[in-house]
Amino acid sequence: MAGLRRDATGYAFILPWLVALALFIGWPFLAGFYFSFCDYPPLKSPAFIGLANYAELAGDAKFQRSLGVTLLFAAVAIPLGVVLALTLAMFLNARIRGQPFYRVIYYIPHLVPTVAVAILWLWIFNPKFGLLNIVLAGLASAADWFTALYFNLMAAVHGHNFLRPASGALAVSGALGAMALTLMAGKAFRERRAVRRCLMSIAVATLVVAAAAGLYAVLHWLLPVDMRSLHSPGWLADGNPLPSFASFAPSWALWALIVMSMWGVGQMAVIYLAKLQDVPAELYEAADIDGANWLQKTWQITIPMISPVILFNVVMAIIGTFQVFTEPYIMTGGGPEDKTRFIAMFIYDETFQYHRVGYASAVAWVLFLLIVALTILAFKISQKRVYYAGR
Amino acid sequence: MRGVHVGLAGLIIAVFLIAWLEMKPALEDFDPVRHAAFKDTWNKRVHLAYWEKWGSFEADACQKMVDTFNESQGEIFVHYLRTSQVDRKAMLAAVGRDPPDVVGLWNANVVPFAEGGALMPLEGLMKQSGLTRDFYIENYLKLGEFEGHIWCLPTSVMTMALFYNKEHFRNKAAELRAAGLDPDRAPETIEELDRYADVLNEFEPDGSPRLMGFLPTEPGWFNHTWGYYFGGKLIDPETGKITTDEPANIRAYTWIKHYAETYGREKLLRFRSGFGTFDSPYNAFIEGKVAMEVQGVWFPMFIRRHKPQMEFGVAPFPCAAGVPGPRSVMEQDVIGIPRHCKHPAEAWKFVLWVQREGIAILSRLQGKNIAIRNPPAWFHQGHPNLELEVFERLALAPQSFIVPNTLVGQEYRDEMNRAFEHIWNWPVELEKKSALEGLTGAARQAKIQALCREEVATTLAQARQEIQARLDSKIERRRLQKRSAD
Repeated sequence: MAGLRRDATGYAFILPWLVALALFIGWPFLAGFYFSFCDYPPLKSPAFIGLANYAELAGDAKFQRSLGVTLLFAAVAIPLGVVLALTLAMFLNARIRGQPFYRVIYYIPHLVPTVAVAILWLWIFNPKFGLLNIVLAGLASAADWFTALYFNLMAAVHGHNFLRPASGALAVSGALGAMALTLMAGKAFRERRAVRRCLMSIAVATLVVAAAAGLYAVLHWLLPVDMRSLHSPGWLADGNPLPSFASFAPSWALWALIVMSMWGVGQMAVIYLAKLQDVPAELYEAADIDGANWLQKTWQITIPMISPVILFNVVMAIIGTFQVFTEPYIMTGGGPEDKTRFIAMFIYDETFQYHRVGYASAVAWVLFLLIVALTILAFKISQKRVYYAGR
Repeated sequence: MRGVHVGLAGLIIAVFLIAWLEMKPALEDFDPVRHAAFKDTWNKRVHLAYWEKWGSFEADACQKMVDTFNESQGEIFVHYLRTSQVDRKAMLAAVGRDPPDVVGLWNANVVPFAEGGALMPLEGLMKQSGLTRDFYIENYLKLGEFEGHIWCLPTSVMTMALFYNKEHFRNKAAELRAAGLDPDRAPETIEELDRYADVLNEFEPDGSPRLMGFLPTEPGWFNHTWGYYFGGKLIDPETGKITTDEPANIRAYTWIKHYAETYGREKLLRFRSGFGTFDSPYNAFIEGKVAMEVQGVWFPMFIRRHKPQMEFGVAPFPCAAGVPGPRSVMEQDVIGIPRHCKHPAEAWKFVLWVQREGIAILSRLQGKNIAIRNPPAWFHQGHPNLELEVFERLALAPQSFIVPNTLVGQEYRDEMNRAFEHIWNWPVELEKKSALEGLTGAARQAKIQALCREEVATTLAQARQEIQARLDSKIERRRLQKRSAD
């Protein structure tokens, strides 16, 4: 009797949630399944039409375009988000001064309402006044300098126009390089740690910038169309693929949404961070004794130990990606040329624009099955890769 | 444990009590400030809910119309409820069997609402009240019809024309004359429009536009209608088949594409990203970034609101050579009575009054032409739209057109927008562009159009296939619905 009472009390506690679940999720879920076999303009009663909605889906070019956009977004944004969040979490896990401050700063973007974020990024992506294009224009000018150097060197080989346009910049960088080399050879570099650190930092930074700009210059030579576009991309208004030679590649507009989706990566990073702090320190100590370097420790200890959380984040990202709606709805309305019409927008349009609730339900069910399939796939793939310490 | 039970039960009771005690606002609630003038008759009147769109001065015009009706009699009081996305909300209200008494929609909503049985047919009521077809300009009445019934009646109309900046024309008067063009009038054919635009264009030293004579992307609201100005149509009136890729339409969209290629798609994209919103001083035409633009009858009111001193002219939008004109696309806002509304008889009294008297108040205050043939004399006296005559002429022009109401009206519009975007954005291969070197003027334009024609034709053919498939599917589903109902 006491057990029964205890059970009844437990159920009483979860009853409000259970009722809400059954009413607001369970019922629409099942009703949607039935409607997917019906022709159902919202102002009429649903009429059973068998598999006609599913048959129409197979030949619907607009649906295929939306599905393609969603899968493409998932294929790029999920891995990118996972890697970025993990990298961020590792930085946030470092024992540095002001660590709580950095954690808060990187998490804050996640708290901003989606609509506000979308409006903010609309301005960032404005081709004429946007912050991103102002920065890109600066980078592009620097890259042009390297490109000019390349083309001048090529010209020099043929005996024409030897380095003339780039000679000023080349002289300045040469002088700076010589000065740095002199300093590095000097007594202060050998004896004073702070000077050594400072010069080394400058050297590393210069190398990184030079490598990036060099890569850009090579790309400039390889892909003139895209590189010219990079001087001032049209972003959300441009439906052409990047890179331009791959017609299946994401459009500039989709790339913009992918970049924007990284805005909320701080939330994923915080979950990683919680797990990172759970990794036993003695594992690292043992690795140190064995002489493992940072990369080996990361690959052999950190990643396996946090693998359950990586799986969790990937599954959540898959689900989230297939529900993307607000940002493209506000920022692009699905355009240009349906290149950002995600599947959730397609469902919305079919329901509220074209009044085809039955067809939209069929799409929703296909989407549901796709998410389930991808989640099962993620679990299957991860079976041998995910390490659960408790097992 | 007993405490837990008491707590849970108490919580449930409290929730139900709050829900029960909540006083929902009702239409009949008397506001002693706003409704002071109606104090004596308030409780004797039938109160109607009228869901309608509009903002700013256009909403004031609608309110004035409703106020005039309320003051004109003591039997009915209409509450104008300003509603954003009125079509979607009205649809949901109709599904929930709790619609307003009167609803203001767009003509594009007539088919889905009528087909779903959400509206009352009005032709019987019109006949009883002596409201005849010849009371209206025919095209405007047709926009509220579907399958032989009248479901909605006109309120606020839309007629389109070419707006041109007279100051830009004056500044370039010598160049225009040198090109054989008259700076004191608007272009009269599409070919002339191109020549005017070519002279009016101004560019920065790096080749990016500072001022564009004409841009077919602005304002971008009627991308599906360009073919009509080249003699094309969207639907074959005989067969009901979709005709998106008929030769005249291909010609129209190839003409549009030549603007993107002649002036640089990417440069134009950056230029356009600096334009402000429609209802702002940074509107491309109002700010002076575009010298000629196709816009609607409402536009003069917005121009004078943001830049009262602006000198502009209005003329019928030109047609291609050989295509009879003048012509304009005609659309409109409509008013209807939802089925299952609470007071259908009183709602019709209001709708009838709107048609006979209210429509003139609304159209005049919104600065628009009117859907009826013989408006009252005071309608034209002091009308705020000084360019009204052009729009009235266009509304009566035999070549002016409506896009016929079909089962796929919205889908058609959306698919044509996509086709337009593809045609505009699609990049002509660099190798092909080398063929343009050395060419100028008409020869260059002809070459660009020749380069683009195939892609334009393919895009429009794809659009036709998709829209036709949608239409066929809807027709088939209607058949299945009917069979299921039988």
